[in-house]
Amino acid sequence: MTAPADQAARTAARRAARLLRWYPASWRARYGDEFTELLLAEFAERPRSWRRAADVTRSGLLARLTGAGLTSHPLEPSRQARAGLATAAWSLAAFLIVGGAMWSQLTIGWEWAPPGPGAATVALVAMSAAAAFLAALALLAAIPLTWSVARALKNHPERPVRRSAWFALAGSGLVVAGGRHFANAWPGTGAHPSLPHGFLPAGVAAFSWAGTLSVSSYWAHPGALAAFPAAEIAWMAVSPVALVAAVAGVAGLVRRLELSPRVLRYEAWLASAAAAAMVVFLAGACCWVLAEGSGPGLFHAGAIDVASLAVMMLALSTAQRATSLARKSALGPRPR
Amino acid sequence: MTAMAGNANRSGQEPGGLGGFGRYAGPATLILSSLAGGPKHGYALTKDVEEFAGVRLAPGTLYEALSRLEGQGLIEALESQDRRRPYRLTAAGALALRVHLDDQRRVADVGLRRLAGGWDPA
Repeated sequence: MTAPADQAARTAARRAARLLRWYPASWRARYGDEFTELLLAEFAERPRSWRRAADVTRSGLLARLTGAGLTSHPLEPSRQARAGLATAAWSLAAFLIVGGAMWSQLTIGWEWAPPGPGAATVALVAMSAAAAFLAALALLAAIPLTWSVARALKNHPERPVRRSAWFALAGSGLVVAGGRHFANAWPGTGAHPSLPHGFLPAGVAAFSWAGTLSVSSYWAHPGALAAFPAAEIAWMAVSPVALVAAVAGVAGLVRRLELSPRVLRYEAWLASAAAAAMVVFLAGACCWVLAEGSGPGLFHAGAIDVASLAVMMLALSTAQRATSLARKSALGPRPR
Repeated sequence: MTAMAGNANRSGQEPGGLGGFGRYAGPATLILSSLAGGPKHGYALTKDVEEFAGVRLAPGTLYEALSRLEGQGLIEALESQDRRRPYRLTAAGALALRVHLDDQRRVADVGLRRLAGGWDPA
């Protein structure tokens, strides 16, 4: 091959590799080689085509959505259910991270001064009830999952399962340890952590504040952020990574473990209940931001709270779609 | 609707047909029709479809449809030749194609008969 032809072949191979990256790893493992060959033949015939690039991009994103259990593409039912549940876990985590930051702002505000009867009170009651319900659901979901992990590690200690278990354990351990450490440095009202000084025990307010410290508008104001203690800034950077690691671990376990149909049905039912609780939580958050967002002090809603609402709505719709398809797959066809 | 509709399953797919393919029924029909002439890999499929139908299947669309057809057992992959993998029609695929084309022909026959039977542009 001549030097210019060799250069052209390398360029075409790089373009094909770039386009292939739109697809998920599992799809690339199955179809990657043959699809690359097709693209190279297409490039030779028609070097440039924006329609082709757009088609591959759309198809790659669709393949990713399918892999996440978000399309009606007929995956094998158990795989569809596990993929949907894993996506629901991701969506719930994203929802709770931004929603938790909002909730902690209100609980801390209440620690200083109760808002009086109005939208903020209604919002905090609705959000707190939904959060408590979600916490109970998470515990119920963790029981069979933990049992399955223990059994899988004992019988088939495969590397991906071990890695996911380690991520889940290390990530959640770091979040809890860091959250507790920084909760002790909370500039609170001085109430005893276990006593209900405001709406909730001060310790709960402090922990939720520390756990969601990274969701902050201070990122847009580096000058003000620089005045924070270095350890706190480091925690603001590290805690999202730990949270992502924890959720990635849990989602990886759900995807990789051989869960029985009964466990899948149970988890799918819990996911549906969680989606309903998310609606209540979001309704409470909307109630505060839209009706009483101009309140005093911490009851004042900023741009970050409006952005949080948008993230929560997106996470909720994703969770509902994933949960619905997971339930259909887990429950199987209805008898006619 | 045809008598098949009475047997439609939960997803609306006719047994042996392509009803469950939704908007992929078009590419699926073209691919199955092409494979009815013998096994082909991706690029050969594209060229064959372009030749007999005048439609150029874009690479992403082609592989979406191939993946679905393979998942439904209507086509199967053969051993790779270099990095190109040919696909061939299965017996279930041949039946699905026949049912689908018969349905299309019935619709086409009705349309043509009505056009011939006195359609008035006014």
